[in-house]
This record gives sequence, C-alpha cells and structure tokens, in this order.
Amino acid sequence: MRLGQWVRAEPGTAFGAMLIGTFALMAAFAPLIAPYDPTQARPDAVLLAPSARHWFGTDPNGMDVFSRLVYGSRYAFGVALPALALMLAVGLPVGLVAGYLGGWTDELLIRATDLLRAFPTIVFALALVAAVGQGLGAMIFVIGLLDAPLFARLVRSEVLALRRGTLVESAVVAGNPTWRILLVHLLPNCAQGVTALAAFRMAWAVRISATLSFVGVGIQAPTPEWGVMIKLGAEHIVTGTWWVVLFPALGLILLVLGFNFVADGLSRLMDPRHRAGVR
Amino acid sequence: MVLRRLVVGLPAVLGVVLVTFVMVRLSGESPVHLLAGPNASPLEIATVTRALGLDRSLPEQLAIYVGRLLHGDLGVSWLSGQPVLAELRDRLPATLELVALAMLLGGGLGVWIGCRAAFRPGSAFDHLVQAAATVTFSIPIYVVGLLAILIFFVALGVAPAPMGRLSMAVLAPPRVTGSLLVDSVLAGDLAALGSAAAQLVLPVGCFALIVAGPTVKHVRAVVADALASEYVAYARACGLPDAMVRRIALRNAVVPIATFLGLEFAHLFAASSLIELTFAWGGVGQYGLNAILQGDFAAVQGYVLLLAVASLIVFFVVDLFVWLVEPRAKTA
Repeated sequence: MRLGQWVRAEPGTAFGAMLIGTFALMAAFAPLIAPYDPTQARPDAVLLAPSARHWFGTDPNGMDVFSRLVYGSRYAFGVALPALALMLAVGLPVGLVAGYLGGWTDELLIRATDLLRAFPTIVFALALVAAVGQGLGAMIFVIGLLDAPLFARLVRSEVLALRRGTLVESAVVAGNPTWRILLVHLLPNCAQGVTALAAFRMAWAVRISATLSFVGVGIQAPTPEWGVMIKLGAEHIVTGTWWVVLFPALGLILLVLGFNFVADGLSRLMDPRHRAGVR
Repeated sequence: MVLRRLVVGLPAVLGVVLVTFVMVRLSGESPVHLLAGPNASPLEIATVTRALGLDRSLPEQLAIYVGRLLHGDLGVSWLSGQPVLAELRDRLPATLELVALAMLLGGGLGVWIGCRAAFRPGSAFDHLVQAAATVTFSIPIYVVGLLAILIFFVALGVAPAPMGRLSMAVLAPPRVTGSLLVDSVLAGDLAALGSAAAQLVLPVGCFALIVAGPTVKHVRAVVADALASEYVAYARACGLPDAMVRRIALRNAVVPIATFLGLEFAHLFAASSLIELTFAWGGVGQYGLNAILQGDFAAVQGYVLLLAVASLIVFFVVDLFVWLVEPRAKTA
C-alpha cells in the first residue's frame, strides 16, 4: 500500500531504484544468470548476430555478449562501491574538522575544491590512472580521491551552518567532548545531503570507470567490463556488427540513469518547498 | 577587475603546470624504453635518458621547463619529434570548430528549453524536460557518438563515414584559419564546404545534446528560483504583465547562467578528447589523449597547459560579461 503510494508520487525515483536493484541482482547472481563463461573465446562462434542461443550475439573473440554484460555489472559496482567508501572515508572527517575548527584545513579544502571544480576532472582522472598504474585498484583509488573533496565541502558547509546554532552550544555546555559533538551531533545532521550526493557520485563513478577502460587506461581486455566491451565494439562498428557495442552501452546507460534518477528524487526530498507541497 | 582575475588566475595556471609536471613523471610508462627499443643496452638507455634531460633532478627539470615556457617553448614531443606548440596550433582549429558549434547549439537550446520549463513549473512539459535532461546527463559522450554512428551511418546510411573532418574524396581547401568551414568559404570551394559540414553534423549534434542536458537543469533551477523571489512577487503585485515579470526574473538569472556556461565550456574542451577519439577528428583533444596514453611528457604538459589557459580566458570573458550586465558588480 505505502509502496504503491510512493511509486505513484515518485515514478522517476521508483524507476531508478528498480534499475539499480536489477543490476545489483545481476551482479550478485552472475554465475547463475550467465549462460556462458564470459571470457571463453570460441573461434567457431565469432561475431554471431543475436539469436536464441546467443541472446545478445557474440563478439569478435567469439565470447557471449549477454554473459559478458551480466558479469560486467560486477565490475561496475566493484569499482563504484569501494570508490564511494573511499570518498566518504576521506571526505566526511575532513569536512567535519574543516567546518568545525576552521583554520588551515578549511583554507586548503576550499582551494582544492575550487581547483577541482574549475579544471576538467576527466583529464585529471586519465593522467592520474596512467600515473598510478592501470587496473582496478588504481581506478578505485583515483575516483575515490577525486571526489572526496566534494563530500568534504558539503559536510563543511552544513557544519558551518550548525556551528553557531543552539544545537552545538547546548552540546558544549552539557560537557560533550569535541569528538562526540562532531560524530554524534553534527554528522547525523549531514546524512540527508550526503546520501543525495552519494547517489549522484555513484552515477559518476560508474560512468568514469567505463570511460577510463574505454580509453584504454582502466581495466584491460578480455575482462568483461562494460567500457572494455564498448571499446571492442567501437573498433568494429563500421562493419555493421551493432550488437557488440549496443548492449554494453545500454547496460552502462541504464545503471547510470538509475543512480541519477534516485539522486534527483533524494534531492527533491530535501527541498523544503517541494516537501511542503508548495510548487 | 582584469588585474584581480590575473592575480587569481596565474597561480592556478602555475599550479596546474606543477601538478601535471610531477604527475607525468610519476607515471610508470617511461618514454626512454619506448625510444631506445626493447633490446637497448644499459649504455644506450643512459644516452637516451641524458638526451631527454631525465638524468637531472626533478626541481632542475622543472626549472628548465618553466624557463623555456616563458620563452613560448613548450618542448618537443618525443613521439613525433615535432615542437609541441606547432602540433597544438595545427590541431586547435579542429577542436575549436567542434566545441564552439556545439556550445552555440547545445547551450542555446538548453537555455531556451530550461526557461520554458521554469515558466510552467510542475507542468507535464516541465517533468518531461527534466527527465530528458537526466537521461542525456547519464549517457557518456562517446556512447552518444557510437550510438549516433550506429543509427545514422550503419543502419540508415545517411551520415558520412565517421573518420576525420573531410571525406577522403575531397581535397582540403588552402589553410588560412584552420577552420575547414571558413577556409572552404574563403576558397569558394563548395565541395569542401559540403563535406566539412556533413562531417560536422554528427559530432556537433552529439556534443550539443551532452551540453543541453546539464544546461537545461541548471537554467530551470536558476530561473525558477528567480521567479519565486520577492521582487518578482512585488512585480506581480504591481500588476505588471507576465512578459515583463519574466524579463525581470531573467535579468537576474543571467549572471548564474553565464557563469555556468563558462564552466561548461571549459569542461567541453576536455571532454572533446572523447568525441574526437570516436570520430577520428584529429584535434587537440585526441592529441592530448594519445600523449597521456603514450607517456609523451612534453605533449601532455602542453595539452594540459592549453586547457588551463583556455579555461582562464573563458572565465575572464564571463567576468567581463557579468561586469557589463550586472550593476552590482560595478559598485563592489
């Protein structure tokens, strides 16, 4: 009943959540869903068009595109989730301390985020992954670190707004140590904003990890990752074998779309004008 | 105002130079092995290292690089043996043509649609536009390019082959500005003009779509905020006609929109590398991307420096524009 109401009130968010859920299930049960081994090359089944045996066809190596797509969701979550954990692990403490104590941490944080915002992240990400060394770990590290300042900045601004209020004042008067004020009184107040930002940045992380692999600095072939699959498809696109590129592209688009729809819904939820039903 | 922007901007450019300088040198891919070949003896490797100046300490290398930079020397690409400045200059018009057209088309469309949606908040049109914006927001630019190639070249066969800026069958017009559109008009070469325009349609279209999405979202939010403000309520209470009320609101939304478009332009310049890769465009973006992948230090630094300077120029133009239209900026 309440679920039905929610779906009617927020169809976009519900659709997004459904997309994320589908891909999460796909990632969890990949071996049960995929009919073939995703990295087994079969020279006798190269570039077969979609059929009953190969739903999404086969690629130039004779690997089953559907099986690779299913396993690819593991890499999408496998990069984005640890990267998000890193963003939070670095961003939240820095934001709390910078907002509450001010001083040089605050100054440094502002400068770093300004530079990141003015300068295209894609170039940073490319150069950094190339520098740190290719592969899964390097990608998680770079994506997480590039986005941590965004979370720090958000938490900082919320803490700054709360610091002069009665919440902190009474907590200090009641004799709470600083760490307790930060963790118990201030951090939970940032939860809503952080959740919405996290959804937005998950979308970005899934996108950029595929981009890095597409360009050739991320995960390498023949790993069944969506960017790798799109790259392979792009190399053969003019020959007319559309299925090699189309299906992984759709997978990538739908998962990113899911996170973005959920993020949109979460930020609408936080807008007081919307919540009060005014406009 | 000019001075303030320079004071803020120069350290930023210097910072970018420093960061990329250190970053490319940390990369595992060393050009020495690439140049000396797989069977090089230790002596040969040492010779190549010295020839590239990589045997000196990092601060020394940086001092030499910055010194040359001040004389307008961006160094030599180790892959091609050509001066980086000349290579960038040759390729810049191709990228500018692409980015400028996409910005005009996508930015213009985005602002227009965003305003329309904000004028009727909560309407079906508003919801549709917002959902569509989120969709274009979610598709990586190279995927848009590939899908467009699939539809218009592979399936329908109406687009030219997605390889380069001119059809193979057409001779390039004599180079004057570097922009094929302008050059072929100057040369009066209709065949070249047609081919260049045809090659531009798909990449510019994809690019414009990518620009339009975020622009619509931002413009919609800014204009809706302006319309919900007290001065607009006052204007309405005074009984001003709708069109005039909207003009008052838009006048106040112009500054954040201009700032946003400036940022967007700077990001487009970098994102251009991906669309150039997809369409084999051969502009600075593809050049920079290749340089990063191959560990071509001087070329990477040159590319990143170009991006930084381009952003600086765009932000400067935006500042100038804001100063012209915003009375408050003049008194501050």
